[in-house]
Amino acid sequence: MAKDTKITRRHVESGLVNLALVVIVLFAILPIATTILISFKEQADVLRSPPVIFPCDTLTESFNWDACRWAVEGYQRVFAPKPSRDSLFGFELTGNMVKTYIPNTLLYASSSALLVALLASFSGFAFSRYHFRGHDTLMTALYAVTGMPLLTNMMALYQMSVTMRKSISFYDDRVFLIFVYIGFFLPISVWIAKGFFDAIPRELEESALIEGCTPLGALFRVTMPLALPGLTAVFLMTFVGVWNEFLVAYLLVSKNEYKPALFGLYDFLSQNIINYQVIAAACIIIAAPMVILFLFTRKVFFKAMVEGAVKG
Amino acid sequence: MQRTPPLQVIRHWLRKSLPFWLILPTMVVILIVQVYPALYTAWLSFQERKPKGWEYVGTENFERLFGAGVFMESIGHTVIFLVGYSALTLVLGFIIALLLKRTVTFSGVYITLLFIPWIIADIVAGLVFRLLVAPEYGLFSGILGDPHFFPPDGVSVLTATRPAPWFGDFPFPPSPSMIFLILASVWRALPFITLLILAALQTVPAEVIESARIDGASGWQVNRYITIPLIMPAMVVALFNLMLGGINGVGMVFSLTRGGPGTTTYVLSYFLYILGWQQLRFGRAAALAIVLAIVNWALIFLVLRMTKVNERSR
Repeated sequence: MAKDTKITRRHVESGLVNLALVVIVLFAILPIATTILISFKEQADVLRSPPVIFPCDTLTESFNWDACRWAVEGYQRVFAPKPSRDSLFGFELTGNMVKTYIPNTLLYASSSALLVALLASFSGFAFSRYHFRGHDTLMTALYAVTGMPLLTNMMALYQMSVTMRKSISFYDDRVFLIFVYIGFFLPISVWIAKGFFDAIPRELEESALIEGCTPLGALFRVTMPLALPGLTAVFLMTFVGVWNEFLVAYLLVSKNEYKPALFGLYDFLSQNIINYQVIAAACIIIAAPMVILFLFTRKVFFKAMVEGAVKG
Repeated sequence: MQRTPPLQVIRHWLRKSLPFWLILPTMVVILIVQVYPALYTAWLSFQERKPKGWEYVGTENFERLFGAGVFMESIGHTVIFLVGYSALTLVLGFIIALLLKRTVTFSGVYITLLFIPWIIADIVAGLVFRLLVAPEYGLFSGILGDPHFFPPDGVSVLTATRPAPWFGDFPFPPSPSMIFLILASVWRALPFITLLILAALQTVPAEVIESARIDGASGWQVNRYITIPLIMPAMVVALFNLMLGGINGVGMVFSLTRGGPGTTTYVLSYFLYILGWQQLRFGRAAALAIVLAIVNWALIFLVLRMTKVNERSR
C-alpha cells in the first residue's frame, strides 16, 4: 500500500515537471510561431486592428479551418520569382536577398569559419603540447582580448577600412571583412581547440614519433583526425556566429553587392514599413538554415559551448 | 670531433621552433584586428577631426562626454538593463535547469526546442519581438493596450514614454520599451545560461543530495545549502557571460527599439554607435569606447578574483 502511494506521488511529480517544461517550451517558441504565422498571412490580415492570430475567421464564425486565408505573398516578395527559360525549374529567383545577400553571407561565414578552425587548430595544438617561454602569458592575453568591446575595436577598424578604400587600389571589402571576423572569433576558438587537444593522449603522438614520423606528420596524421570533432565544433560556432553577425558587416561593407543577409534585412525594413508579412518571411528565410543546421549538430554545439564558457 | 651536417642543424632548429610557427599566424591576425585597433581607439580619444586632419585636444573629448546629459542617462539605462537582464536570466535559467534535471525521458527534446531562440540572430530576434508589439497591428498590442489589463490607459510598448523618475535623474522606473527590451534579451540568452547551469548541476553528486534528504533536509534547503554553493562557480561564469554580452550587445537595440522612444533605451553601446556613426563625432565616440573597455576589463578582473576566491574556499 505504502509502495503504491509512493509511486503515484512520483508520477504526479514527474507529470508536474513535464507540464512546467511544456509551458516553458511553448513560451520559448511562441515568438517564432507567431512570426511563421505572420509570414503566411496576406496583407489585409496583417493590417487588422484588433489583430487576429489565425486568419481563419469568417463573418459568422471566429474560426473555420476551411476559410483560412493562407498566403505566400511575403515569400513571393522576398524571392521575387520570375519566369526564365534557361533555369532548371522554369523560373528564376530574382530577389536581392536570395540572389546576393544570402550567397554573400554563405561566403563570409564558410571562409571565416574554415580559416578560424585551421588557425585555431595550429595554435591550440602548440599551446596544448609545448611549453615555451611566454606560454601562460599568451594564453591569458588571448583570454583578455575577448574582453575588448566590439565597438571599441570597430572605431579603429572602420577608420582603417575608410583609409584603405581610398589608398589601396585592390582593396576589397570582402577580404577585410573576413579577416576581421577571423580576428574576432580566433581567441575563444584557440581556447576551445586547446581544450580538445588536451583531451587527446600524448602517447599516441609519441609512439608515432618513435616510429619515425616528423612532428608535423604526427600532427596531421595522428592528432588532427582525433581532434576533428573538436575542430568541427569550432567551425560550426564560428559559422553560426558570422551568419548571425550584423554590426561589423554593417560598418565595414560599403558596396551593395557585398552586403550580407542581415544587412539586407535591415535595408528591407525601410522599404517594407508596414508589410509585416514580408519582413516575417525574410526573418524566417534567414533564420531557418541556422535552426536546421543546429538541429542536426546540436551535440557538437552543446559540448563546445560548455567547454568554451567554462574555460574561456 | 664530428661536425653536424648543416641540413640537420636547420631541421633541429625548425623542430625546436615549431610551436612559434604554429602560433604566429594567430598572433598576427589578433594583433591587427584586436590589439592595434584598441590602441588606435585610445589614441583617437585624444584627437578631434579638423578640416586638415586629426588634432590633439587633450582630455576635451572625455570632458564633453561626461558633460553630456545623454551619457549619464545611458549609464542609468545600462545599469537597469544589466541588472534586470542578468538577474532574470540567472533565476529563470536556474529554475529551468532544475526542472530539466528532474526529467529524464524528454530532456533531449526540451533542450533542443528551448535552444532555438539562441541560434537566431539578435537582429532577427529583435524584429520578431517588434512584430509582436508593433503599434495597432502587433499581436499583443491589443492586450497591452487594453485599459482593463494595464491601467490606467493601457501600454503601447514602442511609443510610451518613461514615467517620472523616482530617484533624481536616475531613469527608474524604466520605460515599457526598456522592459520589453530586457524580456527579449532574456529570451535569447536564456538557453545558453540554462545549459551552463544544467552542466554544473549534473556534476553535483547525487549521493550528497540523497544523504541530505535522508537527514531530513527539505527541497528548498537542499538547493540553498548544497546545490547553489556547489554550482556557484558556474553561476559566476554565467553572470560574467551575461554582463559582457549585455554591455556589448547592440543588435537587439538596433532592430527592436532603435534607442527609442526618445532616448529611453539608449544603452552605452548604442549611444557609442550614435555618437560615432550617426553624429560622426569620432573623438568623443572613441572616448566612450575607452570608458566601455575599462568597464569591461574591471568586470573581467572582478570575476577572475571571484572565481579565485571560490576555488580557494573549496
